[in-house]
Amino acid sequence: MVFDIIEIFSVLMFFISFYGLITSKSIIKSVVSILLMESAVIMFFLSIGYTSGIMPPIGQNPETETVADPLPQALMITAIIIGVAVVAVNLIMLISLYRQCKAKDWDAAKKKSME
Amino acid sequence: MLAYFVIIPILIAVFLYVFPSSKAGRLIAVITQTALVGLAFYLFFICKSRDVVSNIGNYESFLGITLRADALSSVFIILTSFIFLIVAVYTFNEKYNGLFWFLLFIWEGLLIGIFLSRDLFNIFVLVEVTTVAVAVLIMFNRDNRSMYDGMVYLMINTVAVQFYLFGTGYVYKLTGVLDIDAAAKVLEELDKSSLILPYALIITAISLKCALVPLFSWLPKAHGTPGAPSAVSAILSGLHIKGAVYLFIQFNDLFKEVVVSEFFLIIGIITGIVGFIFAMSQKDIKLILAYSTISQIGMIITGLNNDDIYSYTGSLYHIFNHALFKSALFLSAGIIIKIYNTRDIYKIRGVLKRSPLIGAVIIMAILGIIGTPFFNGSVSKYFIFSGTSLPVGGAILLINLGTIITFIRFSSILFGKPQTEPDPAKTDKCKQAAVLVLGTLCLVGGILGEQLIEFLFNVKVSVDTAGYLQKSALFTASAVGGYLIYKLYIKNSPRLKQVREIELSFRGMCVSVGAFFAVVLVVTKLFA
Repeated sequence: MVFDIIEIFSVLMFFISFYGLITSKSIIKSVVSILLMESAVIMFFLSIGYTSGIMPPIGQNPETETVADPLPQALMITAIIIGVAVVAVNLIMLISLYRQCKAKDWDAAKKKSME
Repeated sequence: MLAYFVIIPILIAVFLYVFPSSKAGRLIAVITQTALVGLAFYLFFICKSRDVVSNIGNYESFLGITLRADALSSVFIILTSFIFLIVAVYTFNEKYNGLFWFLLFIWEGLLIGIFLSRDLFNIFVLVEVTTVAVAVLIMFNRDNRSMYDGMVYLMINTVAVQFYLFGTGYVYKLTGVLDIDAAAKVLEELDKSSLILPYALIITAISLKCALVPLFSWLPKAHGTPGAPSAVSAILSGLHIKGAVYLFIQFNDLFKEVVVSEFFLIIGIITGIVGFIFAMSQKDIKLILAYSTISQIGMIITGLNNDDIYSYTGSLYHIFNHALFKSALFLSAGIIIKIYNTRDIYKIRGVLKRSPLIGAVIIMAILGIIGTPFFNGSVSKYFIFSGTSLPVGGAILLINLGTIITFIRFSSILFGKPQTEPDPAKTDKCKQAAVLVLGTLCLVGGILGEQLIEFLFNVKVSVDTAGYLQKSALFTASAVGGYLIYKLYIKNSPRLKQVREIELSFRGMCVSVGAFFAVVLVVTKLFA
């Protein structure tokens, strides 16, 4: 399997943010880690079908030039929108969890929920 | 035509969002839902002879978004629309607001979408949106416990979906298509070693969705949280998890070059055993049912990965049966919780005397789930068992023994004298009708088992009378054994409390996701 730079970088970023999920106590940091994981995936998708010197698939490209594969880019717009929505829902839940339990980290929230 | 299966539930959802409190509106919803079940049967009869494909936007196949119904997915669509019909009848007299109805029926559309979609990215979108809808439904009552449980459910599933999306990216990079059928053709040609990473990423996500060991900690939180309406718990446990099992079948098919089915066989067995150990130690009625789902899923996964047509078909039929009896149990539990105002099985007593009908339904569902002869569970468990060799068959028997002990303990709610005086309020006729239908189907599914399997899955299987009698003898032996073990060891054991208190935190769950991913990677690398 041949790896290129962006691929290695996004795999690294994915697992570094996963490490963030494992280690952070605070819920908001977990949300941010998920956001970063998603960015890593998006970056990976955008690198698919890209080689340096290629044109972006915008407007009327002359037929002589090769353009980058537009499909992953279109997909990633959807993924970004879904990601934004999910993070928004996460944050709203975090706010109401905070209002209800006065807890900002996982352990405190767990303790409160058991009462 | 296939798009209607997704659109009709969404239209019902919007309609009920606008008219949440009118009875006529709900009646129209139930009638439309009935029509959808009819339509699902129509699709099923077409799919018996050919696959139905519809390309959204009239692009060619493999280029645009494809919906495809085949013999398997049409069965799942019948199941989905039927269970939602039952739940719509069950909640007919409830006073929920528009948001509840909206999310409930949106959820149906999304689930049917998962069964129909043949596009990897579409599946991502559907799974992610389902997660959000379900999380809001779990926290519907907004108490501390369900807020925390819903939050954990949402976050851990989002993490899993990121793994899935990454895997999808690799598949696209390798094949250049997102269509499952087209990708399968390309992946066959490729070198095995390049498939390992995408396979490990995707199957980690799917295994979390299926709640396999060690990724099951979110399931009892989501399915058993006290605040969630019992209709939601019933669909989650009966149906939602089957969507994940369906994806498991799909992706094992897609990556069949690198799948190590022995690994998942072992994981399935461990899941079954761990599930019943936790189930028999709980005292919350909903948590018992939730953990028992884990154990049954373990059995299904074992059967699916056992290389034998009988086990495979038995597992598919068990998916169907589990949906029936687990929904029946959850919905009846909802009624009982209302009557007794508690969820503690030590405090609920005398259900059979207080409401004989609910008691009868619970008895039928329990007889189904423990695999009593003439009930549906016995047929599917017989087939799973008959295809296995000795060690796996022994494990299946052990899981069934655990299920028997769990439900002997559970059935103590049926008899005895109630400690607290139950609420004398009259029970809802719609709810009783809904659970009665499910309970009766458990019996019908047992008596007509052979014919139903041939009808649904197009596989000719025959129940060998001698084998069935042998299985019945084994069942009787394990029932007696289970009763004795329960009486002698389990009933007052102090260990129950210790097991009950084992619980992973969110970080623990993330660690288990990472560990599972690493193990899959290593196992696939070594053995595929």
